Amino acid sequence: MSQLAAFIKEKRQQKPILSMTHVVYGYPSVEESLDWMARLMKEGVDFIEVQFPFSDPVADGPSIVAACHKALEQKLDVETCLSQLGNLAKDYPNSRIVLMSYLNPMYRFGLDKLAKRAAEENILGLILPDLPIEQAATYQAACKANNIDPVWLVTPVTPPERLAMLASQASGFLYCVARSGVTGHSSHESKAKQTSLDDYLTLIKQHASAPMGVGFGLRERAQIEQLIGKADIAILGSALLDAYNKGGQEAGIKLIKDLFSLKANQ
Amino acid sequence: MQSENGFYGQYGGSYIPEILYSSQQQILQAFEEAKHDPEFLAELNKQWQQFSGRPTPLTFCANLTEHFGGAQIYLKREDLNHSGAHKMNNVIGQGLLVKRMGKKRVIAETGAGQHGIATALVAARLGLECTIYMGAKDIERQYPNVFWMKQLGATVVPVTTGAQTLRDALDEALRDWSSSHEESHYLIGTSCGCAPFPEMVAYFQSVIGNEVREQSVAQFGQFPDRLYACVGGGSNACGLFLPFLDDKEVEMVGVEAGGKGLELGEHSIRLSHNLGKPGIAQGFATMFLQDDAGQLQETHSIAAGLDYVGVSPIIAHLAEIGRIKMTYAMDDEVIAACTLLLKKEGIIPALESSHALAGAFKDAPNLPKDSKIVINLSGRGDKDIFNVAKAVQDETFPQFLTDYLASYPTNHADHEEQNA
Repeated sequence: MSQLAAFIKEKRQQKPILSMTHVVYGYPSVEESLDWMARLMKEGVDFIEVQFPFSDPVADGPSIVAACHKALEQKLDVETCLSQLGNLAKDYPNSRIVLMSYLNPMYRFGLDKLAKRAAEENILGLILPDLPIEQAATYQAACKANNIDPVWLVTPVTPPERLAMLASQASGFLYCVARSGVTGHSSHESKAKQTSLDDYLTLIKQHASAPMGVGFGLRERAQIEQLIGKADIAILGSALLDAYNKGGQEAGIKLIKDLFSLKANQ
Repeated sequence: MQSENGFYGQYGGSYIPEILYSSQQQILQAFEEAKHDPEFLAELNKQWQQFSGRPTPLTFCANLTEHFGGAQIYLKREDLNHSGAHKMNNVIGQGLLVKRMGKKRVIAETGAGQHGIATALVAARLGLECTIYMGAKDIERQYPNVFWMKQLGATVVPVTTGAQTLRDALDEALRDWSSSHEESHYLIGTSCGCAPFPEMVAYFQSVIGNEVREQSVAQFGQFPDRLYACVGGGSNACGLFLPFLDDKEVEMVGVEAGGKGLELGEHSIRLSHNLGKPGIAQGFATMFLQDDAGQLQETHSIAAGLDYVGVSPIIAHLAEIGRIKMTYAMDDEVIAACTLLLKKEGIIPALESSHALAGAFKDAPNLPKDSKIVINLSGRGDKDIFNVAKAVQDETFPQFLTDYLASYPTNHADHEEQNA
């Protein structure tokens, strides 16, 4: 079994739903972002999803876009980022790290090298939202060779046969996008059609043997509670960033505690 | 040019967020069906003719030819399209496709505003809701175009992220489409983006080259020896070049924006002199101007329509295999070429198209006297009045602006109230 899926299954013995919290690497500075990641893992989140910034993050909404652009005011380097995350992974063995970015910076770094270096640093999953599975054969092979997982996304408008295909390819976990649109609050929100999250997750579960994570638009405890029994991981991105921007680490931790009622890692 | 599953050599493809998969498939299918449907093609030709004024002429330039003493110079007059540029060919085609798909709204990105205006014109004619994304800095620089878009009924949304220019506008259009894909069509303005956009835009633009095939034979008894087009996104170049792809004796030259210099950030040269690097962003693989960490970079050109950070995957591929020769023209050479065309031929070219002129004018004196070259005059220059006035240091223009401003009614709202 994939290392990621095994970790999730084991953790799920004790918790009804796991937490994955998103952090933009380099925002507002490299040091502050690493400190924030360490704090989150210390407070007992199950996963951190670290976004390596790209100049043109087309799947993200205003909060994360602004953070990425701010982070890119300094020169960021993939190799340095991976080593720093590796140190965090060593310091906080009760949590896991997945790396998210867009294709271009990773493509320039080298997808083979990325899979190898991520595995060496104990980063068990990679999320590249603009790399569709059809173009991903070599990337999939590189992940497999290094025993880490590419994380595929499914959405409420993914056609059923494609959903079945993506679900069957998922190993670590399947990232279920909760609604149309980009991450977080944005001016585009009202244009999206609403679908029933319950029906959608039930449909995915019929096809997926891998654990399921749900993200996009989660910001209230009721939403997390609604996911219990239907998904394994709730992914908190823009809402956490918004809280962090308003009140720093303390506001972020308060939001997580309100949403997940966490127990700190010893 | 037919792609292989959306790819042209190593360029092109579909690198889009999963949320857009279904909408993209719908466009793929609709375009495939439409281009084989005689009724659709008849309507397309009718709109090209009756709305945009096609066919556009092929104009012989006797004075320029004599001036350079080399090749015989012809211009393909895309500037005579409705809206003043070749952009119209594409928006009419995609607009009709939107009606065919039953969607009610179009989204577009625009840099200088030419594609924004063309989209707003077609949306008004076809009764479609229209949202245009435009960088806040471009809005400042190109307000007259924004004004017309708004008058045409479009919503113009300023994009304030990143460098606040075309690249950011394209990102934001994609974000809108990610939310609104069920009701909206992303009407991209150039032969870039995910499949089938490069192929589809090139298909609609190929009317340019198809007309030149007929006109050249009718007017001078052969195909042109050489074709010139400026290359921003690449749609006017695709339109002129692709119909001649199999005619090996027809040479093709693409002219990029050299801007102010060859330092990163001062130009928009992606395809020659090793300045661009392969990358995958904004939905497709092509040559991008980027740093060594894969972050896309700022660009510059005196012509706002040429400062895109990437380039059509079709042009990137044809340049790589040597079918198209790529060169560039600097800002000052472009102004000189523009001025020369004004004085010699009585035609006002867009600064974008003036790049093609500048590239051709460099070669013309050295080409045989019986050779024929066709330069794509992709747009007219009325829109560039402010930039050209500044570049030629017209002394009266600032006074005109001052006087105009002094007489401009600033309390418009009060007047309306009084009149009500």
